[in-house]
Amino acid sequence: MTSGSAKTIFWVGTLSSALIFIALTVDFHRREPEFAHTDKITDQVVKGKKVWHKYNCNDCHTILGFGGYYAPDMTKAYYRLGEGNIIHVVMNPEKVYKDSFRKMPKLGVTAEEAKDLVAFLKWTAEIENRKWPPQDEKYVKAARAKEAQAREVPRTDLVLASCGGCHSFENRGRDVAGDLADLARSNTFDRETMIRFMLDPAAVSPGSGMPPQQLSREKAELIADFVIGLR
Amino acid sequence: MIKYESQKVALHYIRLSLLLFPLQVVMGLWLAVNYGFTLPQALVDVFSFATARALHTNLLVAWLLLGFMGGTYFILPEECERELFSVKLAWLQLLLFAGAAVAAVVGFLFGWTQGKPLLEIPVPLDLVIVVAALIFIANVVLTIAKSAHRSLIQYMLAAGVTFLALLYLIGIPFFKNLNTDYYYWWWVIHLWVEGAWELITASLVAFVILKATGVERKVVEKWLYVETGLFLFTGLVGTGHHYYWIGAPDYWLWWGGVFSALEPLPIALMVADTWLHVRERKDKTVNPLLWTYIVGMAIYHFFGAGVWGFFHTLPPINYYTHGSQITVSHGHMAFFGAYALVNLTIYYYALPQFKGIKRYDERLGQWGFWNMCLSMFFLCLIFLIAGVLQTYLERFLDIGYMTAHSTMMFWFKIALGIGAWFLAGVVMTVWHLFTLRPAQEKA
Repeated sequence: MTSGSAKTIFWVGTLSSALIFIALTVDFHRREPEFAHTDKITDQVVKGKKVWHKYNCNDCHTILGFGGYYAPDMTKAYYRLGEGNIIHVVMNPEKVYKDSFRKMPKLGVTAEEAKDLVAFLKWTAEIENRKWPPQDEKYVKAARAKEAQAREVPRTDLVLASCGGCHSFENRGRDVAGDLADLARSNTFDRETMIRFMLDPAAVSPGSGMPPQQLSREKAELIADFVIGLR
Repeated sequence: MIKYESQKVALHYIRLSLLLFPLQVVMGLWLAVNYGFTLPQALVDVFSFATARALHTNLLVAWLLLGFMGGTYFILPEECERELFSVKLAWLQLLLFAGAAVAAVVGFLFGWTQGKPLLEIPVPLDLVIVVAALIFIANVVLTIAKSAHRSLIQYMLAAGVTFLALLYLIGIPFFKNLNTDYYYWWWVIHLWVEGAWELITASLVAFVILKATGVERKVVEKWLYVETGLFLFTGLVGTGHHYYWIGAPDYWLWWGGVFSALEPLPIALMVADTWLHVRERKDKTVNPLLWTYIVGMAIYHFFGAGVWGFFHTLPPINYYTHGSQITVSHGHMAFFGAYALVNLTIYYYALPQFKGIKRYDERLGQWGFWNMCLSMFFLCLIFLIAGVLQTYLERFLDIGYMTAHSTMMFWFKIALGIGAWFLAGVVMTVWHLFTLRPAQEKA
């Protein structure tokens, strides 16, 4: 090979790749609204993103798969946990994870910041990213089904969407706070106590790390029946 | 035996970087402790995994960049056959860079962060680094401009340094849209390691090979053109392998997949040309350790960045492996092979010259090299096992997070032990580089 052809390889290679990359970048921005729903980026979403940066969440959690691999991916966390649970967890990590093998630091997130963060995570969860991460797709499906009428949804989807972010059952769900069948067997709650427990765990079992659940009476009954049925 | 007085400034860059390297590894061990054991809440509250990770990764970037800067200041006078444009500017640059780094470390400990992985340094400190980078570019370009000679290595270095600084700017602003944010985050991270850094290190290594082997300059420059050309050809569009799951058009699967599948090609060429040059060297072997490093670096670069990267970036595989401990395995092997070993190669070329040593006692250096290379190989193997288990359990079988992640505690206890072994290798190497002394001539 001559020096001349080596030089040609350098310039042709570099410039052709740069041109393709720039053209694709222009197209990425043109089509961004359909993938990232840019029209839904409200002021609150932006404030929530600043909260996300402020507490350096991204060095433990991944989002879109990027960041620290120490804690769960947050891309679809909104579907996995829902608003109330996210707020409770980020404000009280030391209670929620008191028995966990990994801890989350108490960051001092305020109630307002937590709400903004939820807005950000809700917007993030709706990014059309080819259904990634794979393990969270079941929550997306279940949560979307739950948003419809509770009675029409398969019972397991309802429980998965409501409880699966922390509990497991029949080999589904995340099993951070125990398997529902084990928990059902190890406590003696009657139906009414179980419903009260779900809506305000600390009132029934002081010291419980479980966040209060924002459930309609109807959905709480369905879940209580399901759990008691596991006994 | 340095030829130009101004080369001495490089020594301070190199020494500082050698102090940061072991610190980076100590932080890495602490991260493994976080994975391997359950830590008390009170400790996690004041020194979280996130803070430790920010320190681990920023120390890496800091010591690598210091090495690139020091290496550049070392070779530039020889390559330009004149003193540096300004030694004072080089000192000012070092003080600004080191000052920003210290302020960043202290800041991280108190939660002062931009909150973007790898780019945690807050904006005011970013600006200090930008000033340091501008001084660096000016000093490099003016030294070259005032030289009576022109060479490809000069141009590549100047281009690499400028490209590096320009890309850094893209990481500074706040983006409202997470998807855009990560689109451009990779312009810093990926285009650094697959673009700007390759230009700089390829030039530095070309210089070392040129001087140490006595191979003709024309031949070395020809390889340099072809390799950097292929690095940029595959690397620029190859950025797309980070865009599979961020919410971007489907064509990225193809562009990203095909171009990154080609990424091992220039590295394979690099292994081949390094091997040829070392084999055909005209000068007598003075310090075999330098050859060990040059060849070792090329091979490790090929496996860590090339082969590991190749499998990991194929879209159907990446769907399962993206953002898992498999990424950690690839990241460690690639950074160690492609960059840590390059810096150490340059140090082993430069440091003996500062002391005027022709042949040094290299026993401890050999121990350091082999201990680092072997332990890093096993460390990446452990990360790979942990990652395969994680993705298989959580993403393939779809069973709970807890089950998938609690298996890591066992593997990271092993990783901690191997990490300590790696640290031992690093301490040997750093100690050896600081205390180089002439070899005892056999009677």
